[in-house]
Amino acid sequence: MNHATRAAKFVGDADRTTWHDETLWFVRAKRDKAVYAVPEFQDLRELASQIKDHTLSKLDTYLEQFEEQAKRNGVHIHWAADAAEHNAIILDIIRQHNATRVVKSKSMLTEECHLNPHLLSNGIEVVDTDLGERIIQLRDEAPSHLVLPAIHLKKEDVGETFFKHLGTAKGEVDPQVLTEAARQHLRARFLAAEVAISGVNFAVAETGGVVVCTNEGNADLGVNLAHVHIAAMGIEKLIPRLSDLAVFTRLLARSATGQPVTTYTSHYTKPAAGKEMHIVIVDNGRTKQLGRPDFRASLKCIRCGACMNTCPVYRRSGGHSYDFTVPGPIGAILSPNIDMKKHSSLPFASTLCGSCSDVCPVKIDIHTQLYKWRQVLGEANEIPASKKWSMKLMGRLLTSPKAFGVGGKLARHGIKYLPYSLTHARHFNVWAVARELPTPPKQSFREWYQQQANTPA
Amino acid sequence: MSSSREKILAAARANKPDEKPLPTVPDFGGDDSTERFTQVLTSIGGQVVWIDGPEQLQPVLKQLYPESRLSASPLFPGTVLVDALTSTEVLADVDLAVLPGEMGVAENGCIWLPEANMLHRALPTITQHLVLVLDHRRIVATMHQAYEQLPSTGGYGAFVAGPSKTADIEQSLVIGAHGARSLVVLLY
Ligand code: SF4
Repeated sequence: MNHATRAAKFVGDADRTTWHDETLWFVRAKRDKAVYAVPEFQDLRELASQIKDHTLSKLDTYLEQFEEQAKRNGVHIHWAADAAEHNAIILDIIRQHNATRVVKSKSMLTEECHLNPHLLSNGIEVVDTDLGERIIQLRDEAPSHLVLPAIHLKKEDVGETFFKHLGTAKGEVDPQVLTEAARQHLRARFLAAEVAISGVNFAVAETGGVVVCTNEGNADLGVNLAHVHIAAMGIEKLIPRLSDLAVFTRLLARSATGQPVTTYTSHYTKPAAGKEMHIVIVDNGRTKQLGRPDFRASLKCIRCGACMNTCPVYRRSGGHSYDFTVPGPIGAILSPNIDMKKHSSLPFASTLCGSCSDVCPVKIDIHTQLYKWRQVLGEANEIPASKKWSMKLMGRLLTSPKAFGVGGKLARHGIKYLPYSLTHARHFNVWAVARELPTPPKQSFREWYQQQANTPA
Repeated sequence: MSSSREKILAAARANKPDEKPLPTVPDFGGDDSTERFTQVLTSIGGQVVWIDGPEQLQPVLKQLYPESRLSASPLFPGTVLVDALTSTEVLADVDLAVLPGEMGVAENGCIWLPEANMLHRALPTITQHLVLVLDHRRIVATMHQAYEQLPSTGGYGAFVAGPSKTADIEQSLVIGAHGARSLVVLLY
């Protein structure tokens, strides 16, 4: 199934599509307001981009420096080449402590590695503690957005889920009441957890510490109560200096939700007395992406979600239509790196309007990379046949003025007489599925132009 | 040494681009007024109350939290004694923690809270309500100046900006997700 087919399911509910579109645009508008309040915002974007470029150009050195510092701090460091190894390491740590109750705070990397099903199938109870993550975990769904994992759901959906799983009243839709129910439900899990798993927003080479940003405080509560903290980090999370955090914390929340900063910006550097801290450093395709000059800039992504909120295709097709851990414009760049065949339709899920690149806080040239992926996919023969032939035909038509003229004439006169069943045949003209064809003009532009030129002024 | 470590480092070495320079980050200056700090903190759900000095703490707290509560603080003898070894059960009952903040940031209303000021690492989030006491002369304009002034981040430390909140249900803002339900900053 490709992106368009999956999106068709989402757009089937027109009201929901409109609501989804408007909700995300609301977040985009909040972002703009927060950004305009910082006079040096564009300078910060440039600095962030340069710091990340620099870090990637010395990634091996910074990884070693980070490891050395972290070890000096008493932190256990593990290296995972792929998702399977990441999952095995984490299960192993949990087993070593004979633990069965695990709380997790939001981490896209553990999603990417499908950690939850792995732990569950090994008898470990793992509870996602971010409210949005918990909602979709109870519903057995995947997140549909980087920062707003349950953005595709309405409060009625959440009410229904909590009625089923948390015993709230039937028909309860008040977000305040539902959040309180989740608070009580999760508090019991926090208090009982033996191991806490967190993601990593930034890893500082200079200090060997990791920084986690949340609004709910769920990472802090989980990590600081449990005996063992396991932080899962992708190798691209590194930044060189503690002071670089100033640049990134000023950009992250403003770009994500329009807040001046996340409620908690927490620095975990050493384990608490008598406790353990582990960091799992994960590659899972990232060094491969580093080796692709056209696409390596995607590793600069700080997962703010701004490109999704602004993308006209994402807003109208929903995160699930991407069928990848990271949806939206940036997901469409990252996914073919992992599996070119499976995700071949994603780089086409863009209007190439460039809005994503305009809002990206680390200045990734997102739309250019999407365009480049299309070419790579074309060369690798991964473009859907219908698209390929129509593009070839179009290409030939546009490069030959004569053919273009004849084609235009045929179309202008033809459309009028073609039966509806043919112009709207689903298989020939996908474009017309939800649209009417325009009434053809009597004259082509070229004919009109020539006529003007021949008519004396 | 694990072989994955060698594999990842070797791949990073082989695939990295030519070295690019690390930029110097300028100090952008900015507004470090208590007014700005108060305005931003209020806009994110916190509250600022002025006191004359730390000695005035208890009468003000009595006024703000009239019902008797289980409080913990390094600044006065609270009703619960908390230290790094306090059990989860005891921590879970605390409903008011009063902690000294180190530094405030005017641009985003956050306060730096190092481990040394927390009694227990979980206290600032497990308590129902959080009060941070801050010297108004310790407010800086932006995060650049804040990190500039941090000697280190210790074993653990957090910038705390307002009470715990979420907007995960239809983007409606709800204050009080898992951490403290309210944040009052006592400025002196
Ligand atoms: S690509 Fe840029 S805008 Fe998109 S999530 Fe990453 S950092 Fe944010």
